[in-house]
Amino acid sequence: MSSFSGKTFIIARHEFLKTVKRKEFLLMTFIFPLFFMAITIFPTMLAGMIPAEDQKIGYVDMTGSFNFPGPITDEGFSAGPFGAKTSTISFIMYGEASEARQALQAGQISSYLVIPEGFLEAGTIELYTFEKEVAVPGVELSAELSDIVITSLLKNRVDESVLNRVKDPVNLKLYNVGEHGEPSEQGIAEILTNFGLPILTGFLLFFSIFSASSYLLRGVAEEKENRIIEILLSSTTPSELLKGKILGLGAVGLLQIVVWLAVITLGGRYVLPIRIEPMLLFLALIYFLLGFLFFASMMAGIGAVTSSLQESQQVAGIFTFAAISPLLFMQLLLTNPDSSLSIFLSLFPLTSPVAMLARIGATDVPVYQVLASISILFISVHGVILFSSRLFRAYLLMYGKRPGLKEILKSIKAGGR
Amino acid sequence: MHTVEFESVSKSFAEKDIIGDISFSVRSGEIFGLLGPNGAGKTTLIRLLLDIIRPDVGEIRVFGDFLSSAAKDRIGYLPEERGLYRKMKLLEMLVYLAQLKGMPKKQAQLNAESLLKSLELYEHRNKKVEELSKGMQQQIQFLSAIIHNPELVILDEPFSGLDPLSTKAVKTRILELRNSGKTVVLSTHMMEQAQTLCNRILMLNKGKRVLYGTVDEIRREHGKNSLIVEFVEKEGLNAIRRFPA
Repeated sequence: MSSFSGKTFIIARHEFLKTVKRKEFLLMTFIFPLFFMAITIFPTMLAGMIPAEDQKIGYVDMTGSFNFPGPITDEGFSAGPFGAKTSTISFIMYGEASEARQALQAGQISSYLVIPEGFLEAGTIELYTFEKEVAVPGVELSAELSDIVITSLLKNRVDESVLNRVKDPVNLKLYNVGEHGEPSEQGIAEILTNFGLPILTGFLLFFSIFSASSYLLRGVAEEKENRIIEILLSSTTPSELLKGKILGLGAVGLLQIVVWLAVITLGGRYVLPIRIEPMLLFLALIYFLLGFLFFASMMAGIGAVTSSLQESQQVAGIFTFAAISPLLFMQLLLTNPDSSLSIFLSLFPLTSPVAMLARIGATDVPVYQVLASISILFISVHGVILFSSRLFRAYLLMYGKRPGLKEILKSIKAGGR
Repeated sequence: MHTVEFESVSKSFAEKDIIGDISFSVRSGEIFGLLGPNGAGKTTLIRLLLDIIRPDVGEIRVFGDFLSSAAKDRIGYLPEERGLYRKMKLLEMLVYLAQLKGMPKKQAQLNAESLLKSLELYEHRNKKVEELSKGMQQQIQFLSAIIHNPELVILDEPFSGLDPLSTKAVKTRILELRNSGKTVVLSTHMMEQAQTLCNRILMLNKGKRVLYGTVDEIRREHGKNSLIVEFVEKEGLNAIRRFPA
């Protein structure tokens, strides 16, 4: 395989500029992050900006055994630069349900609770709100009521420490034990980094393959349709043409990914405490580039062999499915990363980019396996580019019926003559 | 000196012989005609010359050597199946095609502008190709083949689809190319065009060499034995039956 020539870069530049000016590209690249921002950042920002409402809740205790506390201040949820917004719940006692109802209608309270006489047997507390409001108790109110019930039932009967344990029975902490036996605490950041990043990379790889290969397929189909392909082949070699297209559209895919990652990183920091290990990021980049080259070369070969855009998209669908297949095995890869199937998936070039990243997140993968996986993928990329350029030479100027598998294999063997 | 040399070249597709043991050469500075009916193998021969496809057997030399990527830059090509980037702006497309022929961008820009001015198309330089008339597109197609000032120009059926006025203009351009020292390979299925324009001719039929030589040589050798048959609408093919042979 010859090295990159000047013509390869001219073609790459042409493909890059042609694609980034497309409306669909601009829409996909910039609308997708805006959508992401819309569903993650804005609700958080709004939650931070809108002050929480203080509530006055009435109650009627028919059992006569509950001790409601004074006003309870909730610390609220802190997100982004806005800080936490506190809210206060005040409980007001009424002797009769009718009094509480009148207070609700007069707007003195936002809702009222009725604790029936048979509460101990049934465990039911009734919440009444105004007709137009939905009677759904807030998370804070349910938690506060549970606290009040437990305190009322057990205070002075058990120790303070037992009372606290009943209120908050278990705090599960996760620890990882290292190779030398040293334990380290596994926080939400580690869990998200270990499992979130491989899944995120898998999705990004899938999306970039999907969008860039569709541009590639469409480009080749258009050039075949416009009959300009013959002029191009009279000026360049099929290999230069193929490499130029892949390089140009690879740059388009990378630009798209950089925009998406920047938005996810900047926006995601408000809501997700993701910490990315530089080594993992480096490996993710290597697998992303090689995986992209592998699939894009394959798509270009398909574009050359098939006779129409529709047909090429159908054939390409099979390989797109292969690209996302590791996501189907994600549970196996994360829970049983050292199984034979997991190792195979992380070495097989169709699945290795996503599968190896998932395994790295879940276990300590031996260095030789990572090197073997990258080497196999690297050799496969060279092989696919060679095959695809032979298909380019053999079939780019053929219109009409698609050649059979036997004929395609014969052309590859014959060097695309 | 020979610009193009074919030595015992054969090519088949799906076990069907398209080109069978063809040898010929094109001399520098001449207009060389590839003559033959549709399906004779003229376009395949041109694609072999340009290394778009490769021969099963035989050797092809261009500018005295096997065709390299650099040698491709010295060739201009007008394919039979006309093709342009319909969505691209005219000047932008011409500069891109010239760059693919190894011309630096600035030089390509200057050449494109100068040629567009000579054809009075300069004012359309920022229009998309699809916005131009069919006649203009045909002129642009020809222009894209010569924008990089090639030494060898290959024209595959350059007159197909042209009106008489455009045909005359293209003929003039071909003669201008030869007068400026370029070598021209011209493929056509019309004998009359080959006779008036070409110095030498290779006639093909079903991928085989039928005639090869200068127009005068061919006339001398085969002129006496040739017969022009003109059909009169009334009589049709019956007229030919009157001849005893």
